[in-house]
Amino acid sequence: MAEELIKVTIDGQEFEVEKGRPLIDVINEKGFGVPSFCYYADLELQASCRMCLVRIEKMPKLQASCVIRCTDGMEVTTKSEEIEKAQRAMGEFLLANHPLDCPVCDRGGECELQEVIFDWGDVEERFDEPKNAHPEKFLSPIVANDQQRCILCKRCTRVCHEWMGEDAIEAGNRGSNTVIGTYGGWLNCSQCGNCIEVCPTGTLLDGVYRHETRPWELDQTITTCTYCSDGCQLSVGSRADEVHRIVARDRYVNGINGEFLCIKGRFAHGFVNHGDRIKTPLIRYKKGGKLIPSTWDDAIAFAAERIKESKKAGVVATSRLTNETVHTLKRFADECRDGTSYAVSDTYDLAPFFENLSAPLCTHKEIRFAETIVVIGGDVDEEQPLTAKQIRQAVRNGGANLILVNDTPSRLSHQASQFIHVNPGTVEAFVLALADPSAADMAAAKMGIGRAEIDKARETANATKGDLIIMFGKELGAEAQAVAANLPSRHENRNVKLHPLAGYCNSVGASDMMPGRKPVADVVAGSDALLIAGSLSDEEFAAADLASKPFVAVQELFLTDTAAAADVVFPAASFAESDGTYTNNDGFVQRVRRAIDPVHQAKPDWMITSLLASELGADFGYSFSASAVFRSIAESHEAYEGLRYPDLKDETRPVRVKHKLVSGADVSGAVASLRDRVSQFPDAADKITEEPRVGHKLHRVTTMTGKTPQFHLLANGNPKPDDLLVSPLFQFNPDGSPKKEEESEVAAG
Amino acid sequence: MSVISEVLRSAKAVISGMKTTISQIPKEKWTVQYPDVPVTVQPRYRGQHLLHVDEMGKEKCVACYLCAAACPSDCIYIEAEDDPRPYEDRIGRDERYAKVYNIDYGRCIFCGYCVEACPKDAITHGYNFELSVYNRADLLKTKDDLLITKQKQSDKYRVALSSEDVDSEFKEV
Repeated sequence: MAEELIKVTIDGQEFEVEKGRPLIDVINEKGFGVPSFCYYADLELQASCRMCLVRIEKMPKLQASCVIRCTDGMEVTTKSEEIEKAQRAMGEFLLANHPLDCPVCDRGGECELQEVIFDWGDVEERFDEPKNAHPEKFLSPIVANDQQRCILCKRCTRVCHEWMGEDAIEAGNRGSNTVIGTYGGWLNCSQCGNCIEVCPTGTLLDGVYRHETRPWELDQTITTCTYCSDGCQLSVGSRADEVHRIVARDRYVNGINGEFLCIKGRFAHGFVNHGDRIKTPLIRYKKGGKLIPSTWDDAIAFAAERIKESKKAGVVATSRLTNETVHTLKRFADECRDGTSYAVSDTYDLAPFFENLSAPLCTHKEIRFAETIVVIGGDVDEEQPLTAKQIRQAVRNGGANLILVNDTPSRLSHQASQFIHVNPGTVEAFVLALADPSAADMAAAKMGIGRAEIDKARETANATKGDLIIMFGKELGAEAQAVAANLPSRHENRNVKLHPLAGYCNSVGASDMMPGRKPVADVVAGSDALLIAGSLSDEEFAAADLASKPFVAVQELFLTDTAAAADVVFPAASFAESDGTYTNNDGFVQRVRRAIDPVHQAKPDWMITSLLASELGADFGYSFSASAVFRSIAESHEAYEGLRYPDLKDETRPVRVKHKLVSGADVSGAVASLRDRVSQFPDAADKITEEPRVGHKLHRVTTMTGKTPQFHLLANGNPKPDDLLVSPLFQFNPDGSPKKEEESEVAAG
Repeated sequence: MSVISEVLRSAKAVISGMKTTISQIPKEKWTVQYPDVPVTVQPRYRGQHLLHVDEMGKEKCVACYLCAAACPSDCIYIEAEDDPRPYEDRIGRDERYAKVYNIDYGRCIFCGYCVEACPKDAITHGYNFELSVYNRADLLKTKDDLLITKQKQSDKYRVALSSEDVDSEFKEV
């Protein structure tokens, strides 16, 4: 987009800038620097802190530069006695009620108020009236609140409203008694913690990392989140081989997500250093026996021996593993034993989608500036929170059309310009209606909607001049995925982009790494020696009957059901302990970096697999370096060709893998079988009208999130304690029932 | 050179040496008979650190890590912990206290920056100077050695009054 360039003079120097940019951005970009608290680039303007004052010629008073747009010939002064006096006075006002308890405050050391007051504040405080004093309290198990530290910049309320659409946090009272609070004093939101992240002071604090250490003591490692497929960039703070907290990357040098993270990315890191981690390799010497701690040499030799003896081996990867691991597992299957089959355990298989992909995947930035977004199925709010935030901002700040096709209402459906509420389990019919207009009537009947709704959606899509983004969730079967992947090629003159709402952090990467994979059930059934990296899903585990298999080796972090049924268990390193890459649903391949050394005797997954391979006589030549594995990936996968770790160094410019595009593929077969499928849907069904509670999937207690005790309380209804001053963890049992008096005394020592 | 001249030269040296010795005998003595007699130290002497408690016996330290940040030899190690109990039950004065507070006297250079940095006046230099140990690992002092309520004070020193002049080295004799 070519913007008109205009001339702006700042402190006597002339600059050419784009017309209409916020003046504060230009001033800071050119290196003059004005302080500000309430200004936040991606949020609505507030202009309440009055710190960014500048003098603009021909304007009667000092102006807040955050609300001024650059115009031609503007002459700006950023430094003068008058401005400094105003800023110092503002600093003094802000401190009038701000306690000087920096040594206890968890924000101390990374506090924007501290920084600004150091530069622009007055050393002397003239107010000697008593300050407002409130004790520090909890707003939820993971959000702590200290009211009087607040400077009322309202970043938190704007973030909650604009990014999350939750309005869980608001300002109450008036004048100098204004405080940030919640309805009913307790937060029943998705607990994303973005209000904590954007808070410039210590008003809202991380309850999980509470009083653990100080920011300058932490080693910050930039890495990629291990939960959903959005692939947010985050910074792991570790000290002495312990992960203490996770925050988003800095706002100005960020990854794809800016300062956004969800509850899982930000708070669910308790599993890394949890005491339940498998400490040593375990061997079950004979069926029905116990798993006995062992050494690495013994475990590898034992596993290799049993795999050699077996008639047919199988490898199962999971989509939480790094590309390096999945690739190594694939090589293990190819090179160690002939006829080894392999599979990837995932919520749904993206193979039919990538085989028919006819347009590049869309990035999260493109979602933010899209004109029309069609979300078919999925549960974006709960499963891909960053995508949901981008959609919400596109609608709210960019005026995008949102067409939501789903059988369950969600938070996002309130913002949709068209919410197509279909019968349960009939989402696929919408894909059919888009691909085959002749079947639209039948599809509309099956979905329980009027034909007009489909026509209206089609009209909106046809009228779109900018980006048209089609997202789809796990409801889509193989044929529907193929048809959806082919949709862009029907509209060649328009910008149609696709965005799969994949299940796990590396669903896309695992799909790339293991072409020609089989379903998990087939691999498990067809082999008598299994190597499983990670754990099978509950359904897969129930179907697999691992106990009856002659030999099962599992690489895991915890003794899950799958690991407990294995004959050899290898302790694997978590995402914070190993190097690697994840490929997210934008197609960006992003680095995972080692923040701490592997705990106990754990080893990275790919290393375990290659050790096992070398025992079986296949040398992969990795010599213990993840970058060598990635080179091997680049050599054997077309989409990753030529990539090396140094290319992935800069998370602000993520690298896209080159997925092969198939344009004009013939999908009439898929359309026909989809039509058959849809025609078998029941004609009438009751619609789901109840909106599930916020966090019904985010707060789920899983193997990983369950290791952070706060998740148990959230999953059990987030009860409000009687005493808000003490952490709910001290007042409730993990199941949400109140602790008895004696118990809490015992717990307190 | 003859033997006689050798003897004479030696006797001359002995006499000149003994003259200095004997002339000092009637003068005031500066030698301290440590450890039989306590040493007098300056009030501002920088000895082993003390972690202070308030009048209710609560530790003053809030584990803000500023001492560790100020320390040029990086000899202070702290682990903070949240203590949400009411004041009466707490270990520290505030809701955050130092679970672990170690000073490695193998590295400490007694510069006093930690004392300067402390916003809560929780750490000061005490007067204990007998820090020698038989095992290098014993130079790492934990909270049990540093807390004012627990530190064993040596009886081998006496703190000078502020009016007292104990700068013997610089005194004109």
